[in-house]
Amino acid sequence: MRLLATRLLDHARDTPRRVALAHAQAVLDYGALADAASRFAAMLRARGVSAGDRVALVLPNRLEAVVATYGAWLAGAAIVPLNAQARVRDFVPWLRHAGARLVVVESTHPDGMLASAELAADVQRLVLDAPDAGPSTDWRAMLAMDPLPEPCAVAHGALAAILYTSGTTGAPKGVALSHANFASNVDAILAYLELGAGDSTVSVLPFYYAYGASVLHTHLAIGARLVIESNLVFPHLVVGTLARERATGFSGVPSTFALLLDRAAFDGHDLSALRYLTQAGGAMPVALGARLRAALPQASVFVMYGQTEATARLTWLPPEQFEAKAGSVGRAIDGVELQVRDEHGDVLAADAEGEVWARGPGVMTGYWNDAEASARVLHDGWLRTGDEGRLDADGFLYLAGRRSDIIKTGAHRVHPLDVEEAIAEVDGVAEVAVAGVEDATLGQAIKAFVVRAQGAELDADRIRAHCRARLATYKVPRQVDFVEALPKTASGKVRRAHLATPPPLQEAP
Amino acid sequence: MDSRQTIRSFILKNFLFTDDASALADDAALIRGGIVDSTGVLELIEFLEERYAIRVAPEEMIPAHFDSIDAIDAFVARKRQA
Repeated sequence: MRLLATRLLDHARDTPRRVALAHAQAVLDYGALADAASRFAAMLRARGVSAGDRVALVLPNRLEAVVATYGAWLAGAAIVPLNAQARVRDFVPWLRHAGARLVVVESTHPDGMLASAELAADVQRLVLDAPDAGPSTDWRAMLAMDPLPEPCAVAHGALAAILYTSGTTGAPKGVALSHANFASNVDAILAYLELGAGDSTVSVLPFYYAYGASVLHTHLAIGARLVIESNLVFPHLVVGTLARERATGFSGVPSTFALLLDRAAFDGHDLSALRYLTQAGGAMPVALGARLRAALPQASVFVMYGQTEATARLTWLPPEQFEAKAGSVGRAIDGVELQVRDEHGDVLAADAEGEVWARGPGVMTGYWNDAEASARVLHDGWLRTGDEGRLDADGFLYLAGRRSDIIKTGAHRVHPLDVEEAIAEVDGVAEVAVAGVEDATLGQAIKAFVVRAQGAELDADRIRAHCRARLATYKVPRQVDFVEALPKTASGKVRRAHLATPPPLQEAP
Repeated sequence: MDSRQTIRSFILKNFLFTDDASALADDAALIRGGIVDSTGVLELIEFLEERYAIRVAPEEMIPAHFDSIDAIDAFVARKRQA
């Protein structure tokens, strides 16, 4: 198995002038990307960052994030790509927990700058300016260094990345992935998408999420081209880029496609080059899938499922089975085995519902520095996904919800506790619980249920403004309801499931 | 209330959860500043369409028209004249 950094160097040697990445006016070909990454690796060495050390990134999608990722790998270091929408209250514990030696952060990112300043005694900083402001002083100094003469030889099982999947709650949980995890998952995806060097995509998915990272790494591994679009705020511009770049593929979560279809963004564009779409990150409503296929009949739709704990991908639904296996997230990717087991861990027969377990080369090495949490989900090489579902007789997986309370809103995963902790800080809040409620565009929207303290005057704006100041924007509740009491179990634990869909009222006898 | 004030108070109320007008300058970057996101811009456009009886075409959804209160106000004024 060739590791991803090696493949980048091979493309740089064989096809140095082929375009690897583009963002607005800036373009990096494979030669320039590998060259910058080698200089980044040399900079890490010069700053005392050794093999096995962690390099954190607080960056939105931009070329430098890719240079830093591959540069860290060439130096034998691991990357910690942090959610750039997170806040100081997340960054500080994450950086500490990862033991980051260096953090790459934008001067225009107040929370990233604050967090890295707070940890200045332990964590070095490389500061970038806004993407359109040209190279920063730090970046120019890095590019002026001689490239690392030889990439660091890394073991396949060595740490490549730590991905933090939730915020401040208790001990941060960081998914530790090896170089072999990435390489094997990339190979399986390349096989079913049949990606080649002639392919190209426009990416709106953040690289700090498993899905966005897999789109990036698959394209670079095969010598294809990835164009960065910063966001989906202007769907017409994203589709314009797809048309102009003659992109062959596009990847999104259900809300990505809902946003693009909502304002007829596809109309009037020549998307004849678009041969496939991928969808992951939660179940796509049947009606939305049908609208998407009608709007883009030239493109095959690949429905997929995965987890950060499995690097990214676990299953894929062959496009020709879209109707025959409607509602399925498909079958296991190459090298992955799936089972559905009961609560005792016993394997269930076809069509029986239980918890989805997965085994394969993409399954994480564990949660970083957290043996206890790792032991809860890893058993003899099997990963307990926490997702409920069934496998049909042909091995196709149908998901049926999650055991945990994680809210899926747009491309984001939100742990209710992160939001509850912030709301509990507001004066006048006696109790709070947060749950996901159905939302036509986002899949789920965040809703807070608040019990006021006696005599407290408190309105929804106070609560939302408090969250806005302290949490990532996507974690701010869309709705706030004031209630007399929260539904609880006999032991006093809040029943979050009952908040989102209250049990039907008992009829009077 | 003139249109600029109307737009400002909609954004303050719906994205910053306040009625304190000093919380947001008329030339502050709404999208780049992280105040309005992809679903927020749709809410904003729906509000403008309803309030001012205009129709925002897909190709009019560009940063130049929506990245500040100033920009939105100018765009709405042009649409209402058209």
